Amino acid sequence: MSRAVITGAGAVSAFGVGLDALLDGLARGEGAVGPIRSFDASAFPVRVAGEVPVEATTAAWMLPHLPRFGDALARWSAEGTFRDRKVPFALLAAAEAWRRAGCGPACRSAGLSVAFGIEHTFFEDLAALFDGSAVDWRRGEEPGLPRVRVRSRFDLGARVLLEHFGLEGPVAVHASACAGGALAVAHAAALVERGAASIVLCGASDSMLEPFGFGGFCRLGALSLRNTPDACRPFDRSRDGLIMGEGAAMFVVEAEEHARARGARPLATVLGWSSSQDAHRLTAPRPDGAASRRAMEGALRRAGVAPEAVGYVNAHGTGTPLNDVAEARAIRATLGAAAERIPVSSIKGAVGHLMAASGAIELAACLLPLTRDLLPGTAHHRDRDPECDLDIIGGRPRHARVETVLSNSFGFGGQNGCVVLGRSAP
Amino acid sequence: MTAAVTGWALRTPLGGEAGAVCARLLAGERAAAPAPEGYVRDGRPICVVAAPPRDLRHRRFLPRLGLLAIEAAAEAFMASGAGGGDRLGLFSGCGGLRVDWDETLPALAGQRPDGAAAWALGLRGLHPFWLLRHLSNNVHALAATDHGARGEGSAFGGAGSGAQALQAAVRAIEAGAVDAALVLAHDSLLEAEAAVELAAGGAVATGALDALAAPYDLAAAGFVPGEAVAALVLEPVDRAGGRALARVDAAVVADGREGAPAGATLARALSRVARGERIIDGAGLANPALDAAERAALAGVTGADAILLALSSATGQLGAATPLVQVIALGALLRQGRLPPIAGLRRPAPGPLRPLAAAEPTGERAALAVSAGAPGVAGALRVEVP
Repeated sequence: MSRAVITGAGAVSAFGVGLDALLDGLARGEGAVGPIRSFDASAFPVRVAGEVPVEATTAAWMLPHLPRFGDALARWSAEGTFRDRKVPFALLAAAEAWRRAGCGPACRSAGLSVAFGIEHTFFEDLAALFDGSAVDWRRGEEPGLPRVRVRSRFDLGARVLLEHFGLEGPVAVHASACAGGALAVAHAAALVERGAASIVLCGASDSMLEPFGFGGFCRLGALSLRNTPDACRPFDRSRDGLIMGEGAAMFVVEAEEHARARGARPLATVLGWSSSQDAHRLTAPRPDGAASRRAMEGALRRAGVAPEAVGYVNAHGTGTPLNDVAEARAIRATLGAAAERIPVSSIKGAVGHLMAASGAIELAACLLPLTRDLLPGTAHHRDRDPECDLDIIGGRPRHARVETVLSNSFGFGGQNGCVVLGRSAP
Repeated sequence: MTAAVTGWALRTPLGGEAGAVCARLLAGERAAAPAPEGYVRDGRPICVVAAPPRDLRHRRFLPRLGLLAIEAAAEAFMASGAGGGDRLGLFSGCGGLRVDWDETLPALAGQRPDGAAAWALGLRGLHPFWLLRHLSNNVHALAATDHGARGEGSAFGGAGSGAQALQAAVRAIEAGAVDAALVLAHDSLLEAEAAVELAAGGAVATGALDALAAPYDLAAAGFVPGEAVAALVLEPVDRAGGRALARVDAAVVADGREGAPAGATLARALSRVARGERIIDGAGLANPALDAAERAALAGVTGADAILLALSSATGQLGAATPLVQVIALGALLRQGRLPPIAGLRRPAPGPLRPLAAAEPTGERAALAVSAGAPGVAGALRVEVP
């Protein structure tokens, strides 16, 4: 059985384009939540988010990051493919991961395991339907659709990545809501471990920073209404809701021997993973955290890591009153007495909740401890909720050398995914 | 490397009970009917699940097909006798991620072209659960809650998601990660967005119903879009014992193509599960070039004289639900010892494999099936009955 290692990573986040932008921002202990600029949110009850600093995701914006692909970018842009922000974010993050891993045409046998979004709609494509000239329903012929593309965003994102990288391996598109990103990486590691693929491009991308997605979330009532950059305060006594984010994190996961053979240096090892369902409610987590605890225990068991050997926990930590307490209970139950001294943090105060991509961006954040010996802080966490009885790292990152990290992703609908990463030998 | 199927249920355009569906398959019936007035293209043949959902508990969160999926899950779960809990896994596939227009149009109706003041002009009127109704894993989550499925699980999206879910469940059973797994898939190729896209791509049959040609027919000119939901309960073979309705193995591969996978990719998937079976249910895309390539490639795995079925000739193309419907239909047919004809097959196109034009008895206990989904995803499965 092959060990799965991460040899490349890329990210797009509220800190900007690039993994370094994310890790540098976290290393500085900064937050990147601010006023929404990509659409007019002035009348919405919530007007701040962890928005990627670009108003329109055009080909021109992407070109400096993909300078050799101007023609493809122009074509996709003309087709409207980049109207959905999660697609260009995924492409940029994937291109960075691919480049950092040193992948090229020889890696085209790679598989693809991705999560794109948590919701069904693709209104950007449908907008033209409301323009009377957009559809030409010629009687007796196929409809003319000069400006209308009707696509599932699940497939669309995957298709762009498959075409750009020419991938020919197994494909899986994950739809496990906020656990999707973590499970996409876990799925990739599973493919590698059992020999179904030597190398897999994996991760997640999401953006709901458009009027409908954002409006739907506003109506759901899960967002903090503070409308300040420090609105999201995971595990803090004053927390009152999450803040939306957007972005992507993509990884190249491959068999360790495959990586070594082509001279790629592993950044981390995917040691274990597990999933579970709360089977409780669509709208709320199990208060006792029992199912998420099982996912953590399963991931540690698979990794062969004892709870007391965990060096750091990257919590799902949404900043909502119910979620944080349930997760804190689950972490404490999983780690036992060691919970007193194992640091825990959430990066959602800094970059917002990236929904389907949250598990992926948080695994990218876990490269901070594994490559720079820095544990990310919990931006805007000042006064720990006594019910979240853990060693919560405050706003500033903490220096520490750790060998293993546990990352939690607990999604809407009660789907839980946990991944354990370990330090790789140089 | 197989799992036992101990419960199954389906809702298809041919009916909502496996025995009844098989009877209509064996009779060579087609579910295709002219699209009603007001549909994307009036009169075009489509295959619709006619029965409305009976269990409406989750109607606030789920549209019609989601409710049918919940219903099928409950039926399969009850039939299996499996119990909920920490060792019950749940794996689901949802192909058609579509807008619920009834819920959405009121919020769109008053919008300005430039999107300004979108909140005041309609979005603030969205139901608080509007987002949950569009959540990609809402069926998965509610099925988990209904049956106490707290074990491992994943939800997949896209056209190949049913095959992904089935494969993931079989592997979870094999690995001992769960004692039982509920597998769900639902998809519709009939909703407005899918219908527009399929029509624009020229993949669907456009002629009158009486001229409709079957897959693998010389006159094949596109498939009939359909919709379905299906649910399976899988358990380890030794645990299932005499309760097993069938045994199943599944594989999924891909080739990076934008549309349907190449014939060679279907064959690659098939080779992962084939053990010398002589019956295969084809992808049946009713595209002469794709059909010919598929037959040539599959024959390389099964031999040229294997029997070729096309359940989709009767049900329409079922998207992500296809693999689960194949398991149920093939399992039930093998248990009866009868194979159905390719519905509407009049002039079989020449080529390897033997397209079945009339129902016939069989003594075979196992059969194969393939399914094709974009982007370039090929599913294959093997069904064996006791």
